[in-house]
Amino acid sequence: MHPSHAPARPAVPPAPEPPAVEVVDLRRRYGAFEAVRGISFEVHPGEVLALLGVNGAGKTSALEVLEGLASPSGGSVRVLGRDPQHDRADVRRHLGVLLQHSGLPGDLTVAETVTTWARTLTDPRPVDEALAQVGLTGRADVRVRSLSGGERRRLDLTLALLGRPRVLVLDEPTTGLDPESRRTVWTLVRGLVDDGAAVVLTTHHLEEAEELADRIAVMRAGEIVLAGTREEIAETQPATIRFTLADDAPPLPAIPTVQVSAQRPAVELHTRALQPALTALLTWAAEHRVVLGGLQARSASLEQAFLAVAVADGDPAAA
Amino acid sequence: MTTTLAAPARPAPGARRRVLALASAETRLLLRNRTAVVNSLLMPLLLVAAVRMIGLPTAGGPALVVTALGVTLVFLTYYNLVTTFVARREELVLQRMRTGELTGPEILLGTAVPTLLVTVVQVALVALGVAVLGEWTAPVDVVLPLLALVVGAALMVVLAAASTSFTRTAESAQITTLPLVLVATSVSGLFFPLSAFPAEVAGVLRFLPLSPVVELARLGLLGETLDGQTVDLAGAWSAGLVPLAVLAGWTLVGGLVAARVFRWAPRR
Repeated sequence: MHPSHAPARPAVPPAPEPPAVEVVDLRRRYGAFEAVRGISFEVHPGEVLALLGVNGAGKTSALEVLEGLASPSGGSVRVLGRDPQHDRADVRRHLGVLLQHSGLPGDLTVAETVTTWARTLTDPRPVDEALAQVGLTGRADVRVRSLSGGERRRLDLTLALLGRPRVLVLDEPTTGLDPESRRTVWTLVRGLVDDGAAVVLTTHHLEEAEELADRIAVMRAGEIVLAGTREEIAETQPATIRFTLADDAPPLPAIPTVQVSAQRPAVELHTRALQPALTALLTWAAEHRVVLGGLQARSASLEQAFLAVAVADGDPAAA
Repeated sequence: MTTTLAAPARPAPGARRRVLALASAETRLLLRNRTAVVNSLLMPLLLVAAVRMIGLPTAGGPALVVTALGVTLVFLTYYNLVTTFVARREELVLQRMRTGELTGPEILLGTAVPTLLVTVVQVALVALGVAVLGEWTAPVDVVLPLLALVVGAALMVVLAAASTSFTRTAESAQITTLPLVLVATSVSGLFFPLSAFPAEVAGVLRFLPLSPVVELARLGLLGETLDGQTVDLAGAWSAGLVPLAVLAGWTLVGGLVAARVFRWAPRR
């Protein structure tokens, strides 16, 4: 599946406006090593795309081009229709960036840091409001070097959101955050998206992708190996049916689309058509008065799909 | 597509606002560092006292100001800026600032402002010290020395930015700044006037980066040309054209080199 052909999220009517982010065949090379190998995707206003992948998959390298911090070695990137590097002044006004690692002078207070940043922006949010949003109001007069890791990250995020961005690029926004802070960040991001912002984020937390993303693109070794909504991605893996079967039970019928991967007593079946398979199975069990002990049936999870493609070694064509 | 972008690129007013925002934060950081503040006030006063005690040939009042100007530009402006830029780069502060509306030159200028302020204060303190000691004599011209200070400081900014490309840590700046420091102190007319060198050698040395700063300052404050002749205002200006051009040339080249080699993030 080609990511740019993945359907937009159903809640949004087909947007007549151009994509906020448009990436076509993007490549990045460091010497002989190609970190990003021709990826393409689009993100529309009001939409969140999560780039999912293990460390070293090329997520940050791809984002640096969107952020205007690096040139692509091939392909093109457009943010709000402009080149983020050459039309920097036009793009930056509307772009909020949260780097994976970034520094702040330790001897300024939280309030001074945010105020300084606000003064460099065209249309900043009020500082008090911005601090309140991330729960840092009580820490306003604390020096940055005294903040905890989670507080630092929330301050970083405050700066990224301060200019009322229409496009938000978040590189691992919640890594190192406690669960409560993570929820705060998710709520913030969702609020921005509801107001029409387009968001690209990277994460290796599947939960974060499930929670926030309208579409997910799984990267491996510089390529997007899987893309779509979380349901579409999960559907690439078969559903699983498990039960135990007594030794004297009649042999299982052959059900179309079902593969048997473990035999009795603990039976495990895989299928891409869970409902018909289950219906057939239950009908057979009723007819033969067979007890299916501890019956479980579940669709594949995003995690299963992710593990199947993101960490698979060797042949990328397998995806 | 272009209609999705509300505002056109903002010219100067936005740039000034952004640089001032950054500069005032950086100045606040400097003022919070009491050691640095005390040092920067003590150094020029010590220089006045020390040079008088040692009695170098450049010890006369205005000559001392010339020396102070050169010493401050190299040891304070240049050295401080190399360490500051490198420290900010390695702490990932520069990379983060580049994610906003600040442009690259604005970031470097804003970061440099406290150092530039201290530079001006130090030179002024030396001039004040000289005046208090009663050794001040009316200069032939003040514009040339002021140009030497202002353009000289700009040159130090671009040379410092260029020098960060071969300086991996703030500590290693002690070594990487040596070439300019050595050239400036030994053969740029700072402690020993270029007129002390054979004419052919002096003719070459005057094209080194710090030489025109010293030459312009000597022309204005002492009314003395490279070969030791005394000149009036008109003479100072006609003799000043070459060093002005040399200084402008170095600043331009330094700026172009810095733009090419400057790295905003640590090497990975």
